[in-house]
Amino acid sequence: MHILQRNKLAIFIGLIPALIIYLTFSIIPIVISIYYSFMEWNGFGPMEFVGLQNFIDIAKDPIFWKAVKNNIYVVLASVFGQIPIALVLALLLNRKVKGAKLFRTIGFMPVVISTVVISLTWNMFYNSEIGFINRFLEGIGLGSLTQNWLGDPKWAMISVCITIIWQFVGLYFIIFLAALQNVPGEVLEAAEIDGASGWKRTIFITIPMIWDSILISVILCISGSLRTFDLIYVMTNGGPAHSTEVMAIYMYEKTFSSMKYGYGSAVSLYIFVFSLLLIWISRLLLQRKSK
Amino acid sequence: MENNQVVSEHERNISSKVDTTKGFNIKKLIKSPIIYLSLIIFSLINVYPIVWMVINSFKSQQEFSLDPFFLPDTWRWDNYIDAWQTANLGTYFFNSIFVAVISVVVTVLFGALSSYFLARFTFKMNKLVYVLFIFGMIIPIHATLVPMFILMNNLGLLNTGWTLLFPYVAFNLPLTIFILTSFMKAFPKDIEESAIMDGCGIFRIFWSIILPMSRPAIATVTILNFIHCWNEFSFALVLINDESLKTIPLGLANFSGQYNTNYTGQMAGLTMVIIPTILLYVLLEKHIVKGMTAGAVKG
Repeated sequence: MHILQRNKLAIFIGLIPALIIYLTFSIIPIVISIYYSFMEWNGFGPMEFVGLQNFIDIAKDPIFWKAVKNNIYVVLASVFGQIPIALVLALLLNRKVKGAKLFRTIGFMPVVISTVVISLTWNMFYNSEIGFINRFLEGIGLGSLTQNWLGDPKWAMISVCITIIWQFVGLYFIIFLAALQNVPGEVLEAAEIDGASGWKRTIFITIPMIWDSILISVILCISGSLRTFDLIYVMTNGGPAHSTEVMAIYMYEKTFSSMKYGYGSAVSLYIFVFSLLLIWISRLLLQRKSK
Repeated sequence: MENNQVVSEHERNISSKVDTTKGFNIKKLIKSPIIYLSLIIFSLINVYPIVWMVINSFKSQQEFSLDPFFLPDTWRWDNYIDAWQTANLGTYFFNSIFVAVISVVVTVLFGALSSYFLARFTFKMNKLVYVLFIFGMIIPIHATLVPMFILMNNLGLLNTGWTLLFPYVAFNLPLTIFILTSFMKAFPKDIEESAIMDGCGIFRIFWSIILPMSRPAIATVTILNFIHCWNEFSFALVLINDESLKTIPLGLANFSGQYNTNYTGQMAGLTMVIIPTILLYVLLEKHIVKGMTAGAVKG
């Protein structure tokens, strides 16, 4: 483009506002956390350089590893809960169904609602005295099954995971529906003529044809569920007895309740590295499989 | 180009009909009750927690404890008046609107300007700058909470009316630039050429040609960013302390503590908060779904 040379200045002016804000508030914090992770600092007093001590302390803290385990638990629950449910529903809706649009609208709705509202609503839903679930169980004569869903370490993680699954099934449902609509009808017709029955067509033709979307969704699901913080913070704040604590909650607690800013920065770096590593590994798997 | 296909595919899919198979056979007729039943059960599970909350928000405490399942005998608004007055909802609403509107305007304006140069110009750093922005889509936000707090503290920006704008703009720019750049790349090359013949400057081309042409994509990112800001919780939690500066999600999180036993009041508060989101969603479903899935698929 011939106007280009004259306009280096224009390009610079055009890019600089976005770049400055983006770099300052999104890239620099990561750099800052590297610096502070080597320090011991309570937020007010003088800082002390402690080398790798924070990283070592974190690695020795069993609660941190419990948080890592819970994070992995959330990831697994999301991948094996959200994806299969969404896929089955999308396959069901991918034919002539009256009210398809309504099902889609309702299906996606939880995705747009604020996580805080969802958490508070489900807190009441799970509430051991007034919550829907216990009242319903009592109502149908199964009062013996009632639990303190969020207050019992045995059930808290399961309850939280059910809410997480509920929140995002709709996203993958819509992604799969979109993918299914790109499967050419002729292919399925040809299979029908060859005598392939409905479920055979689904397993051997439809699913392989949308395999890429399924893998992308798995990656999304992994990186999305690694970010779980708001929901658990509002629902249980990591409790009871650390049974729902994930890495981000651990970081928040250590930094803002125990006032250990250096330590918290080091946890941030762990989260950063864990997340990128997991995303990188899952991308690697995706690339290999789609070849 | 590839990216743009992703975006336009979504556009097509979302507006397209559901099936291409025609005719009917008996097998299908038998199967359809099962299909409907599954879809209806799914929809019920999906909306029931919300519906349960809305229904019960109109009941008195006693009525709720007697019957938590069905419609109220009389629809009372007491809980709403009560919740609005005691929970500072007016302040939270104002703060949320303020933060969301300004962040969205700044994000879309700066994002569109950057996208214009990234999409329509060739220069040495183009690829690098683009990749740098897109990298923002995979930064785990929670890993930046602690350093963001330290940074804002050093800048003297904790607890001000402007505080949240900075992280919101910064973290919404990547997706905005991703969607807008792929959209603008698809325009034919000769658009600018004829404009330059007519003596238009570079920024003039952006403002009077590229920006209006990008309207559909601009609409998508505007709504998407608005919802992100409206729902954002973690940065608000870490950076805002002052009751008068809290946004809705942050204010609500405390509201539940205050209202520990007044459940119907809590439900009324949550219902008021949820209504604008659901209205927006029902009105602009196409854009919202398109934006969220496009961002998701690449994010």
